[in-house]
Amino acid sequence: MTVSFFLKAAGCGMVVAGTSGYGSWMAASYRQRLGMLVELRQMIFLLKGQIIYANAPLPEAFEAVGQRMEGVLPEFFLQVARRLDGQQGKTFCEIWKEEVAGISPEAPLAQTDRQSLAALGEHLGYLDRDMQERNLLLYLEQLDLAISGLRDRQEEKCRLYTSLGVMGGLFLAVLVL
Amino acid sequence: MIHNNHEFYIASDGQLSKRAGDSFRVSRKDIKETLEYISEYSLYAFEEEIKQGFITIQGGHRIGIAGKVVADPKGIRSMKFISFVNVRLSHQILGCANKVLPYLLDQGKVLHTLLISAPRCGKTTLLRDIIRQLSNGSNLCPGVTVGVVDERSEIGACYQGVPQNDLGIRTDVLDCCPKALGMMMLIRTMSPQVIAVDEIGSWQELEAIEYAMNCGCRLIATVHGTSMDDIRQKPVLKKMVQDRWFERYVILNSQGGPGNVGQIYDSRGARLDRPGREAYDG
Repeated sequence: MTVSFFLKAAGCGMVVAGTSGYGSWMAASYRQRLGMLVELRQMIFLLKGQIIYANAPLPEAFEAVGQRMEGVLPEFFLQVARRLDGQQGKTFCEIWKEEVAGISPEAPLAQTDRQSLAALGEHLGYLDRDMQERNLLLYLEQLDLAISGLRDRQEEKCRLYTSLGVMGGLFLAVLVL
Repeated sequence: MIHNNHEFYIASDGQLSKRAGDSFRVSRKDIKETLEYISEYSLYAFEEEIKQGFITIQGGHRIGIAGKVVADPKGIRSMKFISFVNVRLSHQILGCANKVLPYLLDQGKVLHTLLISAPRCGKTTLLRDIIRQLSNGSNLCPGVTVGVVDERSEIGACYQGVPQNDLGIRTDVLDCCPKALGMMMLIRTMSPQVIAVDEIGSWQELEAIEYAMNCGCRLIATVHGTSMDDIRQKPVLKKMVQDRWFERYVILNSQGGPGNVGQIYDSRGARLDRPGREAYDG
């Protein structure tokens, strides 16, 4: 009886710890996604500077921006630059979309983030510098909206994930007991 | 394709052929793909060059383009439906200025020199080697600081600011800079003893050349032309010849291949490579 109770209690403790951990992980993922979008916005700003101010062609611009930072997105920029330099018989849009699809699934980007990032490649390199600037500004606007939406809900969502994790664990524990 | 002054067709298998029937037929898609590659997927970065009808790529190779020009009252705005591409491969020939260099020096002092030649006769190649030899120095003269205004990236073939061609150890290059502005900038910032520019021809460039000469810089420039008479008929260049700005005129021709020096004149029009012959009224 005592042993059985202790086992149940230990199991319940592990369930609560597990669900709490999952809740905390969800909250951390939310914050990481926000952080990654902020980083992406900064990189797009730098890319805009390279294209508009330095008049750099796309491979040079992506390489210059990618080398300034470290992480998943800078590596993505560097990979795009390498493939553009390789001139493999594909259009810029194809290369861009393939590389967006190749961003690690572990990266804290939502499907909508990946889709809008892929869409950016459809118009980059097209027509003149004004057009590049407008495309990048449009994408920056989308990013700003996404970031402000995430920021507005950050506290609420993180608390919700953490609480749901703990409460869900407790609920399961009660059921088990 | 023109190679060694002979015309060839490129066959479907990439080989050269003399028969038109063997030639590879270029499609619109091929042209579009070629443009994407030469512009590094970034035609916007070559707006100004496209207005002038060419793009210079890594290595200093010049790609001439033609198609439908989009113009407005201010001039050419852009070009679309690009259907004609002319690839000119740039190359350096070390030592090609050996024969001409002694004529460009007077007791170790560099003389103001104008290289005159029709397109594809090797004036940029010759200019490049003159720059290299003056910069490095030789038994004819000690090395001098040379400032190069490389408006079309053909002389130095700079890639990310670094010349891919050998321009000598005392050479500073202003890449992709308009010549008139670049000459002024070099004089103010790099104090060159010699300034080298390719393909002069506008009034602004003429003023900058005069300014550079008055500042004590020696000038080496190239210009399109076939003879001294040809140069004297051009409105902008006529003044330079009449006022004897240049102390040496080197005329190139393609007889026996590009880079062949035809005649060398001094400022008065006396022929130097064959003294006493073919003087002109300078």
